[in-house]
Amino acid sequence: MTWPAMDGAPGEHPAPRVVVVGLGNVLMGDDAFGPYVARVLQARYEFPPEVSVQDLGTPGWDLTPHIAGAEWLVFIDTVGSTSPAGTVKRYRRDEILKNPPPPRVSPHDPGLKETLLTLEFAGRAPREVLLVGVVPVDTEMRVGLREPVMAAVDTVVADVIAELEAAGYPARPRAVPQEPDLWWEVTP
Amino acid sequence: MSPTITIDPVTRIEGHLRVDVSVDGGHVKNAWASGQMWRGIELILLGRDPRDAWIFTQRFCGVCTTVHAITSVRAVENALELEVPLNAQYIRNLIVIAHALHDHIVHFYHLSALDWVDVVSALKADPAKTSALAESLSPWPRNGRVELAAVKEKLSSFVAGGQLGIFTNGYWGHPAMKLPPEVNLLAVSHYLQALDYQRRANQVVAILGGKTPNIQNLAVGGVSNPINLDNQSALNMPKLYQIKSLLDEMKAFIEQVYLPDVCAIGALYADWLPYGAGVKNYLAVPDLPLDTKGTQFDLPGGTIFDGNLGGVKPISAFGDPYFRDNVTEGTHHSWYEGSKSLHPYDGETKPHYTDFKPDGKYSWVKSPRFQDKVMQVGPLAQVLVGYAQGHALTKKWADHALGTAGAVAKAKLGPEVLHGTLGRHLARAVRAAMLCDLADKHWHHLVENIGKGDVATFNPPTFPSGEVRGFGFHEAPRGALSHWLVINNGKISNYQAVVPTTWNAGPRDEKGRPGPYEASLMGNPVADPERPLEVLRTVHSFDPCLACAIHTQDIEGNTIATVRTREGGC
Repeated sequence: MTWPAMDGAPGEHPAPRVVVVGLGNVLMGDDAFGPYVARVLQARYEFPPEVSVQDLGTPGWDLTPHIAGAEWLVFIDTVGSTSPAGTVKRYRRDEILKNPPPPRVSPHDPGLKETLLTLEFAGRAPREVLLVGVVPVDTEMRVGLREPVMAAVDTVVADVIAELEAAGYPARPRAVPQEPDLWWEVTP
Repeated sequence: MSPTITIDPVTRIEGHLRVDVSVDGGHVKNAWASGQMWRGIELILLGRDPRDAWIFTQRFCGVCTTVHAITSVRAVENALELEVPLNAQYIRNLIVIAHALHDHIVHFYHLSALDWVDVVSALKADPAKTSALAESLSPWPRNGRVELAAVKEKLSSFVAGGQLGIFTNGYWGHPAMKLPPEVNLLAVSHYLQALDYQRRANQVVAILGGKTPNIQNLAVGGVSNPINLDNQSALNMPKLYQIKSLLDEMKAFIEQVYLPDVCAIGALYADWLPYGAGVKNYLAVPDLPLDTKGTQFDLPGGTIFDGNLGGVKPISAFGDPYFRDNVTEGTHHSWYEGSKSLHPYDGETKPHYTDFKPDGKYSWVKSPRFQDKVMQVGPLAQVLVGYAQGHALTKKWADHALGTAGAVAKAKLGPEVLHGTLGRHLARAVRAAMLCDLADKHWHHLVENIGKGDVATFNPPTFPSGEVRGFGFHEAPRGALSHWLVINNGKISNYQAVVPTTWNAGPRDEKGRPGPYEASLMGNPVADPERPLEVLRTVHSFDPCLACAIHTQDIEGNTIATVRTREGGC
């Protein structure tokens, strides 16, 4: 059975093959980890045109249109766990679908599992999925990452870069790295 | 120990909205809605530049980003008495429309249809009969036998594989599921097609807003989109035509699929018409401004009390004192210090968590009131307020929908049947059809205005010294949203957001009057307290902004079941 292409609108760029998504609420403390890493990636690296790197906030179900049709997905997020804060956890597609990681504690769940299952039913599921999650210290209403979570940023950046290499779409370090656009951390 | 049955197979904590119902004799006797997350995000805005507030407010909620951005710039513009160029109004309106259409489609197909549609029953459907039925309801080209047979086969292979994937947690075979297999198959097919239209709406927002979620084109005083028909990177004719074609495709889906589906499913569940009304006081704010000041609108606003449509009173402009002077928020049953009712300009956000006490404080949500009345907000409020005022576009689509549903139900249906659970769904579909007509209209307004040589999109704001106050409102997909702020020497000194789900999901007030969610659940049937599908139906009909956990108990307070619902967005 074939489904009408979701990337078929006239004059539009084809859907990216690899989508890297930072999830989380930038106003909820360590929940900003996903958006933070997405913006560090954008500032430090150049990506091939087949790769899209985005801070999508906490879109819940609205994640679907951003990832439908991609072959390879990488999510960066906070995950609940009994491991110490700052621990980096990695989950592949089957683990996410069968034994989902415990919930984020933010105003919205990501809807990750629901989105992936729906795309599977619609015949538009990705071939590979990696979720890299960090265990937060807390996700209270405040701006800024706590120290153990901040310390995980470089590890997770390296994880994502390695995953892009494995997917066959390697990123290149920028000749002149930029400052990441962390607008929410500017104090009034 | 009281017996506890946890139905939720996904081991997660309580949702962010908790609904407790006590059930006796097959009906809900009492209900409590409790927000489980503190949303004091307003505090982050204190001391900031009001021109930046919208960038922060659109991160309040990950799903209704756009609505908080639009409302925030309107509030600051109101404080400064700043007019907005026509092009900026039209561009904002097109974003508002696309976002709302997206919300309404997703809400129906992906977040609530499965409360009424039995996916497993669709396996018994005859695709040829399904196609014949569908083609009698609508000219939609994708209701053919081949496509429906393919959907059925896909579903069969899922079930044969021992799993239902996304459909695993449904109440399949529940005694309250009443649709014939063919209607269930049709709905599953449209569930899949709706994914394509969610994406189209998203594209419109992305083209105009620069990015989605979290648009980037707003500014206090207008929008930052440059208009230049000869420039590739500006808003030009190819982009405008792309927007038009996306909106046209959505219009076809809404008129030929969404609206007929809601009418038919509603009619087949006509025995549900008496349930879920609850609070019959309604509040809607006007939206889609047609002038630079915001005195003329394409969506009407106003209030209705006690279901009396004849007594409708309009809210007619940005800054209308009838709205400004009549809103308060109480905290009698909410986890905040004190229990006074305060106007939002004087609103406080001082958390004081105790515990869940049904007779005391039990929610993070405050209790907003209008003229001290509990109000229901949302598409139903908007449709009723418009209908009561004789608004032509509202009447056109409401009468069409009531006629279509009446033909299937073989009954004459008037607007009085809209008070309730099914009415909230029908009104949302009516509003979507209205918005499609208005998308066309505002697109033409924008193109014609640019054609006259007007390319202005921004009036720069200036901030006076001393204190100014302002409020902005927006008829968001879930209903009336307002932001209120106090500016002191150009910096924010107070900021309060009164959101639709606060109006609807708020707890009891100091007089013990339940909020709309709570009131709507009283008397709901519950065939099987361990699987409280009917409770989900009524809660979902409001389009809750929070993931929701529902907890049923017997009349002595013993827990019967705890279930978690699909997620919404705010």
